Amino acid sequence: MSEMHTLHVFCLFDEQFVLVQALLCSSSNLNLTVTAILLKMYLNLPFLSQFFLLTVVVKAVSDLCLHKMGGNLYQRIQQECERHISAKLQSLVGQSLDLVVFLSMVEKCWQDFCDQMLMIRGIALYLDRTHVKQTPNVRSLWDMGLQLFRKHLSLSPEVERKIVTGLLELIERERLGEAIDRTVLGHLLKMFTALGTYAETFEKPFLERTSDFYASEGLKYIQQWDVSDYLKHVEMRLCEEHERCTLYLDANTRKPLVTTTEKQLLERHTSTILDKGFTMLMDLKRVDDLKRLYTLFARNRPAELIAKFLDEKLRAGNKGTSEEELEGTLDRVLVLFRFIQGKDVFEAFYKKDLAKRLLLGKSASIDAEKSMISKLKAECGSQFTNKLEGMFKDIELSKEINDSFKQSSQARTKLPSGIEMSVHVLTTGYWPTYPPMDVRLPHELNVYQDIFKEFYLSKYSGRRLMWQNSLGHCVLKAEFPRGKKELAVSLFQTVVLMLFNDAQKLSYQDIKDSTSIEDKELRRTLQSLACGKVRVLQKIPKGREVEDEDSFLFNDEFAAPLYRIKVNAIQMKETVEENTSTTERVFQDRQYQVDAAIVRIMKTRKVLSHTLLITELFQQLKFPIKPVDLKKRIESLIDREYLERDKNNPQIYNYLA
Amino acid sequence: MMRRSSGRKSDQLVTGSAAVNSTAGGSDLLRSASSKTVSKEIERIDQLFYTYFDRSSSLIGPEGIEAFCSDLDVEHTDVRILMLAWRMNAERQGYFTLEEWRRGLKALRADNLGKLKKALPELEKEVLRPQNFQDFYAYSFRYCLTEEKQKSIDIDVACELLNLVLGFKFRPQVDSLVEYLKKQHEYKVVNMDQWMAILRFCNEINFPLLDNYDADLAWPILLDCFVEWMRGEQP
Repeated sequence: MSEMHTLHVFCLFDEQFVLVQALLCSSSNLNLTVTAILLKMYLNLPFLSQFFLLTVVVKAVSDLCLHKMGGNLYQRIQQECERHISAKLQSLVGQSLDLVVFLSMVEKCWQDFCDQMLMIRGIALYLDRTHVKQTPNVRSLWDMGLQLFRKHLSLSPEVERKIVTGLLELIERERLGEAIDRTVLGHLLKMFTALGTYAETFEKPFLERTSDFYASEGLKYIQQWDVSDYLKHVEMRLCEEHERCTLYLDANTRKPLVTTTEKQLLERHTSTILDKGFTMLMDLKRVDDLKRLYTLFARNRPAELIAKFLDEKLRAGNKGTSEEELEGTLDRVLVLFRFIQGKDVFEAFYKKDLAKRLLLGKSASIDAEKSMISKLKAECGSQFTNKLEGMFKDIELSKEINDSFKQSSQARTKLPSGIEMSVHVLTTGYWPTYPPMDVRLPHELNVYQDIFKEFYLSKYSGRRLMWQNSLGHCVLKAEFPRGKKELAVSLFQTVVLMLFNDAQKLSYQDIKDSTSIEDKELRRTLQSLACGKVRVLQKIPKGREVEDEDSFLFNDEFAAPLYRIKVNAIQMKETVEENTSTTERVFQDRQYQVDAAIVRIMKTRKVLSHTLLITELFQQLKFPIKPVDLKKRIESLIDREYLERDKNNPQIYNYLA
Repeated sequence: MMRRSSGRKSDQLVTGSAAVNSTAGGSDLLRSASSKTVSKEIERIDQLFYTYFDRSSSLIGPEGIEAFCSDLDVEHTDVRILMLAWRMNAERQGYFTLEEWRRGLKALRADNLGKLKKALPELEKEVLRPQNFQDFYAYSFRYCLTEEKQKSIDIDVACELLNLVLGFKFRPQVDSLVEYLKKQHEYKVVNMDQWMAILRFCNEINFPLLDNYDADLAWPILLDCFVEWMRGEQP
């Protein structure tokens, strides 16, 4: 009890003077002597009396706030909290005790801090509601406490390091089969989450440690054990890591953790597992082991991988492969394709990659592309390839549009000189959807866009043109002191580089303000220009990551053997976000397809039992799906009043027109 | 034969509900007398209404209901109040209109508090009749939809309501369901379909054996999950 109360009690003693003053001038009838005695007696009082006194102090706080002394009080509380937190964290320095003991000390320190801050907040609620709310840039008492804790923790790096090392060590012990105190672990990880440092301080080293751990474990066991035992072990490990995320890790860690584990235990040993075990398991008809093998490998998303493999083959720069060889590869891929479930996933990734190849001019051969499409058509029917063929049509049509634009009177009279532009006009629906990305274009490009738009709309009235900035690419003529170059760059890179026509040095913020490019995209763009292989800009200070305080300089020293230089590889590379959104879209699409199928069936049948509806759905739907997912969609349709459950027989659904 | 018997039947009808049906010339007196009693009854029912009603809205509002409940010696959260609301077919939670009030009290043949108190056990019996209970159960859900276009109720409200309307009939089921609903994170609300399925579940499924529950049937997923949880909980 006394430990719980120390903090706010000494807070109050320090505030005595202020409090007493306030109490005197407030309308309260308490006087100085009474207050002082009350405060001094406070510590020795039983709980109920403390509670009584609490109301007096709460009143004092509100009086202070009413007399505009809230700011003063806030500062005093902050000072006291800081002194206390700093002392508490300092007391942890040099505690070279046993790791488990150390962690529980930290846990105690954190729990006390939370209790005390909550109590202070309770007492000074009025302060939070008035002074804090009315004053800009002042944190609530709770946030102020967190910020102080964060500050003083980072001021004792030894303590922080020991906590993290301790946590990692504990988890490793658990992986090695030891029982550990998960509660302490959970509390300390929640502490990092509350302080907002979880990802940076804990998650990053944790994933690295995990990767190392499973790398060596994988190497050891794959040699020592037979494939069947190894696979069982992998299955168990994945299950354990899953459980770890529900027990004490932050939920966001699940995805990267599982990926890391899969990578080290499965991906790295794929060929060994197949060479060593597949034929043996097949010969011995070990169905259970084969099933395990299949499920484990299926976790690595075969549909997506096949699409990526094709992208690699069909992309330009794939030298040394003859037309026949390529054709042979495509045929073999198609055999594999026949066996994958979830062809919609394949389609989504194939389409996304095809779009990039076509739009960025990176396709190795249009003939090979078309050959692949016709193979897919023969395999899955024209419905599957409709949109893919539409993409090719758009590209051809765009060529004609560009030609007639160049000959149009608008183009001949109004276009700014020194720029040449070609436009791909894409039909929404054929192509993948791209998130709209803002960018402030240089004046010349804006003029060009407007003239093209005017021309296009005069030819095809009633259409709507939307510019997809993230797909644009340009060739820039650059004069470096050491020679003239042509740079193949993305539109975003162009917009950034053109700023350096008028400036030698720009800060990150300057560039952000002038281009309006979204933060993450801008960092990627600057990284590609100043931290990659081709450095046309210099970053100050040097380093891999782009920080808010960085500045950028035009690189006077730039030299390269070739005249034409490609800097826009970043456009071809798939980002994590892109991958996630493609996958999510496939699943979203599946939901729509299920909904549509249910409505279609019910529209013709009007009345149908649950069992028959499920059976029909399994016949109609082309992707793997669980009965529970179908139930979910049925329930959603009931909710949206497309269907109703029959009043007399709950196993029957009625269609609602 | 036929004629005579049908004649008797209609005779019975007339006497049975003389107040409403009698049109024979000789019963004029009777009619005016009985319509007098009827209007007296309505008058008293109305009077009772006006002792609790709120002048500004001309309804009995939450405060009026509270006063009414305390005069009845019944908690306003008592299931019998909900039953009364069902009898009145009250539309809006916490409010009675004059029309609803008349409908309910007339059906219970109660025109003062004393009679109403005595009518409550009868009302309970009526609600518990199988053909009425499902209607009452569905009504209790609709009664909790207080906002416009609201189609589902919060888990907390649903738990309270289950205790209130099913608790006395299916105590073990309700206890387990409430425990499950409070600890799960999947659902934040319960909709009418799920609500009605819960009653069906209580009526049809052996509890706590659950041996005749089949998740392949059209049970809502909420109940599939509940059963799965129950099966995992049991040793």
